[in-house]
Amino acid sequence: MAASEGTPAVIELSDVELSLGRGAARVHILKGVSLTIPQGQATGLVGPSGSGKSTLLMTMAGLERPDSGLVKVAGQDLGALGEDALALFRGRHIGIVFQSFHLVPTMTARENVALPLELAGADDAFERAAAELRNVGLAERMDHYPAQLSGGEQQRVAIARAVAPDPAILVADEPTGNLDESTGRSIVDLIFALRRERGATLVLVTHDLSLAATCDRTVRLRAGRIETEAGTEALAI
Amino acid sequence: MHAPVQPSASASGPAHRPVGLKLALRLAWRDLRGGLRGFGVFIACLALGVMAIAAVSSASRGLSEGLGREGRRILGGDAAFSLIHREPTAEEYAFLARHGRVSTIATLRSMANAGEKGAALVELKAVDGSYPSVGELRTDPAQPTADLLALRDGVYGGIADPVLFGRLDLKPGDTVLIGSARVQLRASLTSEPDKIAAGVGFGPRLILSQEALRASGLLQPGSLVRWTARVLLPEGANTDAALDALLANAGKEQPNAGWEIRSRGNAAPNFQRNIERFTQFLTLVGLTALLVGGVGVANAVRRFVEAKRLDFATLKAIGATGGRVVAIHLTEVMLVAGFGIAIGLALGAAAPFALGYMLADIVPLPFEPTLAPAELAIAALYGLLTALVFAVIPLGRAHDVPVSALFRDQIEPDRRQPRWHYRAIFLAALAGLVGVALVFAYDRRIALIYIAAAGFVFLLLRLVAWGLMALARGAGRPKRPALRMALANTYRPGALTQSLVLSLGLGVALLSTLAFIDVSLRRQLTQSLPQKAPSFFFLDIPNAQAAAFDRFLAEQRPGAHVERVPMMRGRIVSVNDVPAEQIKASEQMAWVLEGDRGITYSAAMPEASRLASGEWWPENYRGEPLVSFDARAVEGLGLKLGDKLTVNVLGRNISARIANFRDIEWRSLGINFVMVFSPNTFAGAPHTNLATVTDKDATPVTSDAALMRQLAIAFPAVTAVRVKDALEAVNTIVGQLAGAIRGASGLAISASLLVLAGALAAGQRARLYDAMILKTLGATRRFILSSYILEYAGIGVVSALFGLLAGAVAGWGVVTQVMKIDFVPDPTGAIIAATAAVVVTVMFGLIGTLQILSKAPASHLRNL
Repeated sequence: MAASEGTPAVIELSDVELSLGRGAARVHILKGVSLTIPQGQATGLVGPSGSGKSTLLMTMAGLERPDSGLVKVAGQDLGALGEDALALFRGRHIGIVFQSFHLVPTMTARENVALPLELAGADDAFERAAAELRNVGLAERMDHYPAQLSGGEQQRVAIARAVAPDPAILVADEPTGNLDESTGRSIVDLIFALRRERGATLVLVTHDLSLAATCDRTVRLRAGRIETEAGTEALAI
Repeated sequence: MHAPVQPSASASGPAHRPVGLKLALRLAWRDLRGGLRGFGVFIACLALGVMAIAAVSSASRGLSEGLGREGRRILGGDAAFSLIHREPTAEEYAFLARHGRVSTIATLRSMANAGEKGAALVELKAVDGSYPSVGELRTDPAQPTADLLALRDGVYGGIADPVLFGRLDLKPGDTVLIGSARVQLRASLTSEPDKIAAGVGFGPRLILSQEALRASGLLQPGSLVRWTARVLLPEGANTDAALDALLANAGKEQPNAGWEIRSRGNAAPNFQRNIERFTQFLTLVGLTALLVGGVGVANAVRRFVEAKRLDFATLKAIGATGGRVVAIHLTEVMLVAGFGIAIGLALGAAAPFALGYMLADIVPLPFEPTLAPAELAIAALYGLLTALVFAVIPLGRAHDVPVSALFRDQIEPDRRQPRWHYRAIFLAALAGLVGVALVFAYDRRIALIYIAAAGFVFLLLRLVAWGLMALARGAGRPKRPALRMALANTYRPGALTQSLVLSLGLGVALLSTLAFIDVSLRRQLTQSLPQKAPSFFFLDIPNAQAAAFDRFLAEQRPGAHVERVPMMRGRIVSVNDVPAEQIKASEQMAWVLEGDRGITYSAAMPEASRLASGEWWPENYRGEPLVSFDARAVEGLGLKLGDKLTVNVLGRNISARIANFRDIEWRSLGINFVMVFSPNTFAGAPHTNLATVTDKDATPVTSDAALMRQLAIAFPAVTAVRVKDALEAVNTIVGQLAGAIRGASGLAISASLLVLAGALAAGQRARLYDAMILKTLGATRRFILSSYILEYAGIGVVSALFGLLAGAVAGWGVVTQVMKIDFVPDPTGAIIAATAAVVVTVMFGLIGTLQILSKAPASHLRNL
């Protein structure tokens, strides 16, 4: 699929094949996936369990290498980067929000958010981390450890950490999967607000069709292939 | 809003910035704030090993410094000039007196004859009026030395070691005969300032005046008396330069004196050498504790990496490279190592002070507990390198922890080897550890053997573990479910086999090595010797009384084997005109060149000798003087047949050609000498005789005590050394050394127990899960327990068997190659140690499980 007219593509996947496991346990997960996401678009990836949506997300984020095909993010062919270069690339261009938050348990909320900035060599890491936490409504919880925060608060910290380096692309894997409905709703609102505020490209994996419906575009996967693509209206029908 | 994204330069070719140390430290410290949970065994292992090394080297430093500082006191002056058989000549005395105040002492072995109460060997020290020139002689009662030794009513005074009072049942004021002089024991000796310089004696000390010695009749031509002239440089002029000038002048102005010279900086070279040698042994034992503890370090780091897997993946997800992840956590691990090392250093540095306090009144050593920064730094270096060696490989695996672990459970364990640069760091750290062990070794050969043996044992233990796992895997599927489960547990991913085999194998190997050394040493000293060893050595038998002495022995011990040879003392002056000081001697043979040695002459080759090369001289040989040498000198001193050897005997330099080399069986304890000369070499020279008597019967006609009493009456000049007493003296020393070795080894064994307990505790969580699932599925506690017992016992028995074998080999090596004694293949002690180790393993393993099994599964399953 071509990028929207006048808007450059920020993610381009072309004929991506990926299998995982070894020997008899090897499973063919992505089967010739091609997808282009223009800059600034919110894309929802939906599909049944095992359809390959999380794997597709990881491939876009450079966390998984395809067996064949091309993955280009922000104009960079990820296949041309080594492991370390990929890590540095991620640190600069991609923010990731996980279903299970994955905060470092031995660090406070502020330290967790400051971590990617510190790794990038920012001198004002802690000031920026504090600002991000205030932005997600956790001004009072900055010095709490993850174990002292609720699930919703932990996910807010994780979102603040993901957006702190000001990435061009934000990817989220079932960000509300471990949260109750009302907390999940507030987290979704937060992600979309931040995305709007910063003009970032958002790729969201979810089982929740109503959440997917809030995206600009939805891609449905089945058995490792893109089954349908639709605008929000089409999916809502 | 984001501007359209362009491929960034950094993205296409990002610079690999190494993680800044500051950032690594900050993040590592942040991670450690939560506490040191999981690092208990890690810290304890490092602390234990570093403590052992720091304590041994600090104590050794304290002793060496004490020796250095107290050199004047130990020597009795700034320099000491020793002569055997004779006093300094007037010319020599005048030379010494030009440089400072001279005092002399004479030392020799003799018999103290207490009449009906018996006779006992004593180490005589005859002093002049200025004794002690340095330090203080303490006596009980405390009186001026001159008063205690003065001649009163024809009786000389003496100060005796309390042991002599006890041995002869005497009290102060009683009189003994020394030779033909009557000596009243007026005080008991509390402390003697120059005791160490004299070395180990076989009898108690008796101090008397030189007048008394002269009156005793013991000073015969050839008697084994050592005269030492001590020079005390004038106050204010006793600089090192003045001392060096004295030593240099002694060589130049009195080249033929044949004296052995010691200076205050080198007051007790043998003692100093023994300290260094013993320090090395104990340091190696400490290093063993550290290496055993290294297994605990590796286990702890492996668990740390497993527990932190998701954190590593998170860091990578937010932009940290694999290298950064490893660098941050290696910094963290090394910080923890630093903490353990600091504990070890603190304990090790404190140990000499505690030792000094405890031994202050027991051991008469110039021990000055001191903070030894250099020694502590070396111990810390050992600790840091050990931590790095054992931590870097397991931590290196963190580099490639996939970020996908954050999205899905790992399908199969990651078996990738760490990247090459972590293996390079490992090799560099290992080389560093080997280098430190070699650089600071007293004897590099022993250090090298130790390193090779340690590396071999580690490799072998890994092979044993792999072999055991392969065996379990290939054992098929036994019908008994408990056995089936035990076998499966032995090789399943995350099995305890590797850690248990390493810690238990090393522990048992060490215990069993000690047991084999112990039994061999004890057998050597207590059982094997007396059967072939003489009962007595008799010294200083005047040549004129030799025949009478033979008759005396024949009456006292009819049928006993008596051997008597001429005996002199001589010092090697040069070989092929190269001065002895310039000859490069091996560690094992250096003693031959230092000081004087007993020498003899003989027409026939001595018993217990075998010709190694060259030929023995004809019975009536009359040609150029010849000498037969101990064959070890070929390698040890670089001697060869035909070399010209010059010895100083009775103040004369005498040269002889080396005619042959002999292999000598020293352990027979028969009479033998490093140097045996052809009879014509010393024709007409005054000398005494040395004799041995070897009893054929277990209970001789006369008791040893009666023989010594009779001897003291009939031959007052002859000294009898009872071999049993001498062996007991040696036994006591060996016992004390063995005690120190056992103490240090105890630390190594503690480390191995720590590692074992740590490995089992780490496996407990997996065991808990298994046990709960099994219980849920209907397994009885008996079934679960028997399965675990089978697993632990299986691993334990295999490790213990290996440990036994390795211990036997190591014990054999130390006993036959280092100690040069017979190996006694008595495995009793080793088997007891190995059995105890297996029992401890099974018990440790079951302690946690038993607690778990007594509870309902639901409570645990909720928490799993």
